[in-house]
Amino acid sequence: MKKVKIIAGICWAFAGLILIIILFPGLNAFSVSVSKLSFMKLNPRYTGGEISRQIISENCTLDIRKPVFNGFLKESNSGFVQMDWRGTLPERFKDSIDYDNDGKKDFCISVNRTESKSDLVGFNDKVKKILISTPTSYGWAARVGLEK
Amino acid sequence: MTDSLILGLSSGSACLATCGMVMFPYLMAGSAGVKRIAIDLSLFLITRLAVYFVLATLSWYFGQALFSNTVVRNIVPGILYIIFAVMLVWYSIGKNRKPDCPAKIVKTVNNHRLVPILLGLVNSLGFCPALFIILTKGATQGTLVQSYIAFLAFFIGSSIWFLPLPLAGRIRKKEVLKNIGILATGLAGIIFMIKGLTNLIGGIING
Amino acid sequence: MDNALKTAVMRKSFGKSLLYTLPMILITFMFISGGKPNFSDPASGLAMLMVFLLVNVLYFLMHFTGKTDRLRAILFIIFAMSLSYTLIHNMLEVRKSMSFSEADILECKIPFCHLVIPMMILPAAFTKSIIFPGSIIGGFANISSMVVLWVVATIVLGRGFCSWGCFYGGWDDGFSRFTKRPVIKKISELWKLMPFAVLLMVILTAALTLMPTYCSWICPFKAVTEFEQVTSVESATKAGIFLSLFGGLVVVLPVMTKKRTQCSFLCPLGAINTLSNKITPFTVKIDKNSCSECYKCVDVCPLFALTREDIKSGKVSMFCSKCGKCVDACSKQAIHYGIRGIPAGTMKNFSRNLFLFVSFLFMAVFSAGSIINTFHGLLKLIF
Repeated sequence: MKKVKIIAGICWAFAGLILIIILFPGLNAFSVSVSKLSFMKLNPRYTGGEISRQIISENCTLDIRKPVFNGFLKESNSGFVQMDWRGTLPERFKDSIDYDNDGKKDFCISVNRTESKSDLVGFNDKVKKILISTPTSYGWAARVGLEK
Repeated sequence: MTDSLILGLSSGSACLATCGMVMFPYLMAGSAGVKRIAIDLSLFLITRLAVYFVLATLSWYFGQALFSNTVVRNIVPGILYIIFAVMLVWYSIGKNRKPDCPAKIVKTVNNHRLVPILLGLVNSLGFCPALFIILTKGATQGTLVQSYIAFLAFFIGSSIWFLPLPLAGRIRKKEVLKNIGILATGLAGIIFMIKGLTNLIGGIING
Repeated sequence: MDNALKTAVMRKSFGKSLLYTLPMILITFMFISGGKPNFSDPASGLAMLMVFLLVNVLYFLMHFTGKTDRLRAILFIIFAMSLSYTLIHNMLEVRKSMSFSEADILECKIPFCHLVIPMMILPAAFTKSIIFPGSIIGGFANISSMVVLWVVATIVLGRGFCSWGCFYGGWDDGFSRFTKRPVIKKISELWKLMPFAVLLMVILTAALTLMPTYCSWICPFKAVTEFEQVTSVESATKAGIFLSLFGGLVVVLPVMTKKRTQCSFLCPLGAINTLSNKITPFTVKIDKNSCSECYKCVDVCPLFALTREDIKSGKVSMFCSKCGKCVDACSKQAIHYGIRGIPAGTMKNFSRNLFLFVSFLFMAVFSAGSIINTFHGLLKLIF
């Protein structure tokens, strides 16, 4: 029994050695495999959610994403909807957004890029306030807080 | 709801650490088996829940009467959070915590059927810093339903610790787990202290 | 006399040390340079050469002198400082500031570090998603590669990751070596359970809020890497917490106690790595037949892993990070590196050689990138 334990221990130690030796050359391959696991995707609270609609105009595209209400065990009562403006944007712009595709505008957001100021006018009680409104590498992004 | 749940989860461990050794024998004494234990534990938890709902109602009405002024509503809860959070941290330091659970008074009761109910009553009314914090929270909620939800979350968080009580005899490293639970209580106190400070400073800046 | 006997047993001759270093030379050459060293940029080539020499000289000296801890600490501390330099340098170059912006969070450009891993577990299980604004694959410090690195290192080294891999541990390890004698000598054993309490709280709060709460609120190393822009009371509070914890737990307390107080009293990943010590093949063992119960090892241990009761019972606790300080301090060679299954007091040299190769190789390759980057930056500054 003592000999079996010693041999098993040494085998386990050498297995560790092999693991460390193959770890770095194989890191890309292992990482790609791990990235394909079902839980290896970013939570919508960080990605902003899937793109629901795209409104394409002359110089820029507006991506309206699906509202995010993700919670731990169940959906949360408070969430947000994210909009991304991509392309060449004017110094000031204003858009009325229908985030739930019911044909009615839910809020109007206006952005002054020079002064980094944004204003929100909500058309129903579910629309709360601007959570984030910021320049990005692709243009501008804003998140508007919502309640169910 | 989240911070109420966290408060319950972290302080429930310290509560169990002090009260568990009193309650456990009563929950176990004379038990015929798992069914008896389950009934006793259920009675204990239902009593705690009922008391918390009463406290939620009282604290909310009290808050409505006291915190009608916006300035008071912004600043006073912040101060209270800080005071009670400091008490919670102080409470988590071993020598400051009374080794006896208030539930020990139940030892004098002869009727065994009443014991779980009385234990639930005394345990939930044991005015510890965590309860003061949740009372403050209940008082500052916008609606009565929100106050109930806060207390419910606190109840759920703290009750999880009592569920494995019947298995307590089989757990080997009780002392280590108890110490971790008590340290976690202290951390919860620090979380509420920071929350209180942030509320207070934000309240002062905003008006 | 005893010390001379001990080092005479552990140390090797020059030739033997060189022989033991040869595999490390070959493997680090391959891994650091990718097999094709690039000297087109002289500064970059020189930096690579300097790092290559540094790691192999240190490894050689570990065999030649029979000492482990101080030599390990040199690379470990340089790694910690290099990583901070690399991150701060990148931040200043790209963003002209040490803080990340809302845009960086929205675009998921935050580099991932292993400290986030405990907070990811419950949300990953329940929501099937990662609660961190980083990159899953590709880019600097992406989530997948950091997870792979940490999982493998933890399986093989256990809490040894805290002394041979963690790119933050070098900070408080370094500060703990400032003074010759501790100012504060008595610290309650209870505090070493604090990381478990912190682990419990961060797991709960992260799961309930879907936010990496340790990173957002209490990571001391935000003070030397990157943190949220201070735009509100909340972000100002966070910045205050980061700086206070760094100042207190990473600088002041290690200097005063000669212990790694951040790692011992706060780090939640240390708590998980402590548990993983149960499965790792490498351990530290006590040969009770040789032990004279002088308790020098207990005094020098930086992570409160040894107590007098442990020495008397002949078992090192699971808090051990295999740093080698106790091994170097023991005049009787009674405490030594071991392999699970092999009885204490036997196959000491074999166990030490194998453990050193595995752990040092991991540290050398893991740290090489950021140290080369730092040396490159310093060389450009000088020349």
